[in-house]
Amino acid sequence: MRDETGSKGEVRMRNKIAVRMGEGVVARAPHIISSLGLGSCVTVALYDTKRRIGGLAHIMLPDSNSPNGRYTTYQCADTAITALLEQMQSKGAILKDIVAKMVGGARMFSSYDGLNPGIGEQNIISIKHILNRQGIPLIAEDIGGHHGRNIEFHLDSGKLVIKAVGKEVTEI
Amino acid sequence: MNNKEKLLSEEQLDFLREMISIGAGNAATAFTQMLQCEVKVTIPALHILPAPQAPSIIGDPSLPVLCVRMGMVGDVAGELFFIIPDEQKTKLTHLVERATPGTKKKYTDVDLSVLTEVGNIIAGVYLTAIHDFCKLNIYHTVPTLAIDMIQSLLDESLATQSRQVQTLILIENEFIVDEHLIRTFFLMIPSMESVKTLVDSIDQARMALGEG
Repeated sequence: MRDETGSKGEVRMRNKIAVRMGEGVVARAPHIISSLGLGSCVTVALYDTKRRIGGLAHIMLPDSNSPNGRYTTYQCADTAITALLEQMQSKGAILKDIVAKMVGGARMFSSYDGLNPGIGEQNIISIKHILNRQGIPLIAEDIGGHHGRNIEFHLDSGKLVIKAVGKEVTEI
Repeated sequence: MNNKEKLLSEEQLDFLREMISIGAGNAATAFTQMLQCEVKVTIPALHILPAPQAPSIIGDPSLPVLCVRMGMVGDVAGELFFIIPDEQKTKLTHLVERATPGTKKKYTDVDLSVLTEVGNIIAGVYLTAIHDFCKLNIYHTVPTLAIDMIQSLLDESLATQSRQVQTLILIENEFIVDEHLIRTFFLMIPSMESVKTLVDSIDQARMALGEG
């Protein structure tokens, strides 16, 4: 497998890799993986703290087992996390050293409040469940709320830098 | 991308353009009455496109936009968004001041409710135009407003409504008020099941008018 492979279409600028909605990528330090315009979508960042190998997926939906089926790998939480783990392990990552962070899952419009629970919350619940089942500790999160987020995943440090409109930049 | 754009033939697109031109004309009339000054509208641009491209046509995906969301129910189900890019904000505030005299600051609650109402009117005129031409009864739900990045605002809808097909109808409108040109977008995201209903109705309407 080639280095820094992911679903097709990700854009690269020097050591920056942009992951769009429904895409995922695995890379090593010192790359920076970015994901823009998260609303109800959730990005999961997996990181092997010893080998500094990281994987990030911009997940849209909680579960690939739906009657409307036929999703691509990184659109749904279950298939996306499995794919990230496989790719990271094929690059030498070791499961016991992998930790997880997640960002997103907002509810952007109050009119969605009638639909219970929203897709963002469903994504969060599903991802927590999958990480738990895989035995991967979720060490940090910035989830929910009513605002969009841009993130950068720095593979040299494992830090996630989060930007939101009208808010201070935060780091988890 | 090409096969998605061919979802509608050139003739069907022309028909859709005619519908939205009439809708835009009616919107200008409604705003003229609401704002008590002449509001003109240019011929709207129509884009039929797959989901990932919508945010980049509207503008920088990481800049905030003002967005009014409505659900679409009836013969065609889905979601509607009225979108004003951030760089239009100052012109818009000027426009809103006409409807809410005395307000000077950026967005007050009253401004926001006026802008929500603008979204409401836009949805109304386009759905009426579709009804008049295609005999489809489409209604919109109560509008709600949010200001954030376009991609974030649309992602729930793109994830749940359009799934695989992801056919978006994006109408670009330019309104002219007091020499200010205000660029706005109206986005229809029909559910997967509704796309066929919409296309079939366009064909029937064209045949009824002897264009088919």
